[in-house]
Amino acid sequence: MRSLRAFLLRLAAPFTGSRGDAEFRDELESHLRLHIADNLRAGMPPEEARRLAIVKLGGITQTIERQREQRGLPFVDTLRQDLLYTVRTLRANPGFALTAILTLALGIGATSAIFSAVNAVLLRPLPFSDPNRLVMIYGVGGNDDRHESVSYPTFVDWRDQSHSFESMAAFANATLTIAVNGSTELVRGKRVAPSMFHVLGVQPAVGRAFTADDIDRSVVILSDGFWKRHFAGNNDAVGKTLRIMDAPFTVIGVMPAGFHIEPPGREQLYAPLPPDATRNHEFVRLIARLAPGVSRPHARSDLDGITGNLRRQYGRNSASEGATVEPLVDALAGPGRTALLTLLAVVSMVLLIACTNVANLLLARGATRRREMAVRAALGAGRGRLVRQLLTESLVLALAGGAAGLLLSQWLGALFVKVVSDFVEVPRLDATRIDGQVLLFTTIVSVATGVVFGVVPALSSAAPDLSDAMRDSGYTASGVRAPRLRRALVVVETALAVVLLAAAGMLMRTLITMRSTEPGFNTSSMLAVDIWLPPARFARLQDRVPLFQGVLERVRELPGVRAAAFVADLPLSGATDTEGFHIVGRADPAPDRWHSSGFNITTASYFEMMGISIREGRGFLASDGPMAPGVIVVNEAAARRFWPGRSPIGEQIQLPITRERAQLLTVVGVVADVRHRNLVDPPHSEIYVNSLQTELTWMPVVLAVRTQVDPKSVAEPIKAIFREVNPAVPIARISTMDEVVARSLAEPRLYSWLFAAFAVAAVSLAAIGLYGLISFSVTQRSKEIGVRVALGASRSEVMLLVLREGLGLASIGAVVGLVGGVAATRSLVGLINGVTPTDPSTFVAVIAVLLGAAAIACYLPARRAARLDPLRALRTE
Amino acid sequence: MADVWQGTLALMVLKTLDTLGPLHGYGIARRIEQTSANHLSVNYGTLYPALLKLDQEGYISAEWGVSENNRKAKFYRLTRAGRKQLERETRDWEKTTAILARFLAPKEHSS
Repeated sequence: MRSLRAFLLRLAAPFTGSRGDAEFRDELESHLRLHIADNLRAGMPPEEARRLAIVKLGGITQTIERQREQRGLPFVDTLRQDLLYTVRTLRANPGFALTAILTLALGIGATSAIFSAVNAVLLRPLPFSDPNRLVMIYGVGGNDDRHESVSYPTFVDWRDQSHSFESMAAFANATLTIAVNGSTELVRGKRVAPSMFHVLGVQPAVGRAFTADDIDRSVVILSDGFWKRHFAGNNDAVGKTLRIMDAPFTVIGVMPAGFHIEPPGREQLYAPLPPDATRNHEFVRLIARLAPGVSRPHARSDLDGITGNLRRQYGRNSASEGATVEPLVDALAGPGRTALLTLLAVVSMVLLIACTNVANLLLARGATRRREMAVRAALGAGRGRLVRQLLTESLVLALAGGAAGLLLSQWLGALFVKVVSDFVEVPRLDATRIDGQVLLFTTIVSVATGVVFGVVPALSSAAPDLSDAMRDSGYTASGVRAPRLRRALVVVETALAVVLLAAAGMLMRTLITMRSTEPGFNTSSMLAVDIWLPPARFARLQDRVPLFQGVLERVRELPGVRAAAFVADLPLSGATDTEGFHIVGRADPAPDRWHSSGFNITTASYFEMMGISIREGRGFLASDGPMAPGVIVVNEAAARRFWPGRSPIGEQIQLPITRERAQLLTVVGVVADVRHRNLVDPPHSEIYVNSLQTELTWMPVVLAVRTQVDPKSVAEPIKAIFREVNPAVPIARISTMDEVVARSLAEPRLYSWLFAAFAVAAVSLAAIGLYGLISFSVTQRSKEIGVRVALGASRSEVMLLVLREGLGLASIGAVVGLVGGVAATRSLVGLINGVTPTDPSTFVAVIAVLLGAAAIACYLPARRAARLDPLRALRTE
Repeated sequence: MADVWQGTLALMVLKTLDTLGPLHGYGIARRIEQTSANHLSVNYGTLYPALLKLDQEGYISAEWGVSENNRKAKFYRLTRAGRKQLERETRDWEKTTAILARFLAPKEHSS
């Protein structure tokens, strides 16, 4: 304990005062006086008295030195010296210090900003109890191993037969209507198995959670937001009744503020998930808590085993092929996870380029400090001591850059969150902020960058060739270019910049392709009205038809409206539906597999209104009513796929509606393809059924209206028409078709811009690095250039000489970078639909941009070289 | 003449301050030299790091004062912790010497 006190005092000694030495000198002086006085009293002559006193002491300097060692810690002392020296040298060269610190601040700031987002979305624990054991379970199936929902019976089998989970609960998204003051409102909700809140380990703040008995009761738990909005946060909300989907539901509890199962859903209501017996109705997802000590792979194989049995028992169509078990935090982050990690990798590359730049600056500075290093070495500083001094300098720079970067990251992080939120919804992204984790990350990154960019220059400058460096002119005149190491660094950073540029180019190119792709229909002057048809009221065809006809009749009479139609899946809205069917007179592809195609439901005149041309036969007519024979229209892709080489007109399909019953439908027309999922994927086969005839349980829920006037101007009248025709039908959203198209482009646009921003930063940094190197090289070679000019070289020849050096390096970097770029764009394929990894024209453009930037970077030094006055250059030593 | 090693020196300093009360560095050095009847010869300079160390450990404290012949000098004083440390070290020392004495004693006594 005592020695700790001593250690701390010694540690603090350099900072508590440099008085130590002075005071000790006083003490020694008084010591000597006392001793001399004694000696004099003993009869010595004054000279001798003083000499003996000093001898007896053991020398004044030596004593002071020993005292110093005891006072502080030698290590700390050196560090202090190095720090003071660093501050002095940096202040003596503020331009260098500022450039280095700013470059690092940008690199570290951007990295910390992205990390703070990663931290918020992926690293911070979910607000559930013991969240590390929570997993999301999907079914997997189909060729592409897609994550799928599973059926309720599968959930029950998995829950009851598995041994890997402590608890498991199913949930499904539900769009719910609630009756508020006579009109109908749409709310996002979740149907959850009663044990859901128990699995998550979160209890309601007010009232109670669901119990097993609630499974078929009409009870509801509110979110905090819903409670505050509709019940003003009153505790007596519990016990009240809400009309949900036309039925009374009793409020039994309120969840705590900030609770969401899936943050982007912002579900507002929770109702029990009623059991469902249909094995091929796959609509629930599962959240489970792993039993202690059980790993995810183990849990997965447990479920796969059960699934195998189910498939043997009920047939292949009745169960998924297996399960995936994903950590809940990753599952909730969804595609945002890949995107954030990709961006973190990208921003690390920018940081690496920044490091390279600073390393290059340090090397350049090392060259001008060769004399200083040589003098210090000559005075006895060991190589280790010099390396330590130089590393201290780079660490100070890095920490200063890190501190500035941290400030910057606060701003950059907020900007990033704002930009991303405008395009896509990433859960928990809005919780991005600088916390302890981010602080720790920034510190580690700063120190690491300090070492990364500091170690090479330190090693290379700390070994000066004494005799060479001490000579008056450190440089020889003949053709010395920038040192090999510095040129290599510039090549590296150019290569990194090209990788980013290639990725950004690929994304831009994808975006341009998407933009210029004809969607297959006319998007101008169109309004899309998303509605919701409560299944309880509109389950039967005869309930729906009056609504469709009533609304269409009135909307078509609105001034400025040209045409209107109902459709289930509006192209580019993200919605697609698939159905299995049989073709009459032909066998199914496999005994237990049916034909499968995209299906859509429309009212008559949809094709005319959308501008989708009819290639063969006819569209739906008014005469194709509920009583007329069932007809379908197929697109060209479907015609090619199911009836290759012949006309499908007159062919018939059996469309199963329930297990027992199918509907017989006849093909009456072929229409042109439209881009459905997005603007890049090739059109898929699509079969249109008539909304007045189909018995499919899903429904057309978009009213598409073509106008002669600004489409927004008919929005209000259309709302009024719905209220008139049926006030129980809520309107979810009204957007113009242009907005729908823009939404379908949101993700590619976001990624294009983010990558472009990073690529611009990377190329700028690389250009600055190249500029620094070439400027330095011109200074180095000024004598050589002087000689050339004196011997008759023209200005353009001199410029060319310099440009060639710079562009040569840039080209090497570009070639290396392109190889990396191809690999990088491969990894982007998973991120965004429609990226084609190797596209020569993009790579040509990338090279052009890079060489352009390199030419600009080299131009200034080249011009300086060309204007060099040979007399002055030759005279300068 | 024996060299004086640090630990022993510290003990001698503490004992000196215990016996004579507050004293300056020169006085402590002289006292140690005299008590050992000049058998121990110390470079007075080595005393100062030892004093600093004891100060850092909190066993002694220092303050400027005026010496017997009216000169400015830094006086060291035993602290309460120092007094305890002195007792502890004295005990330890006595134990050590007792053990060593028995160890080195002539054979016939230890049969």
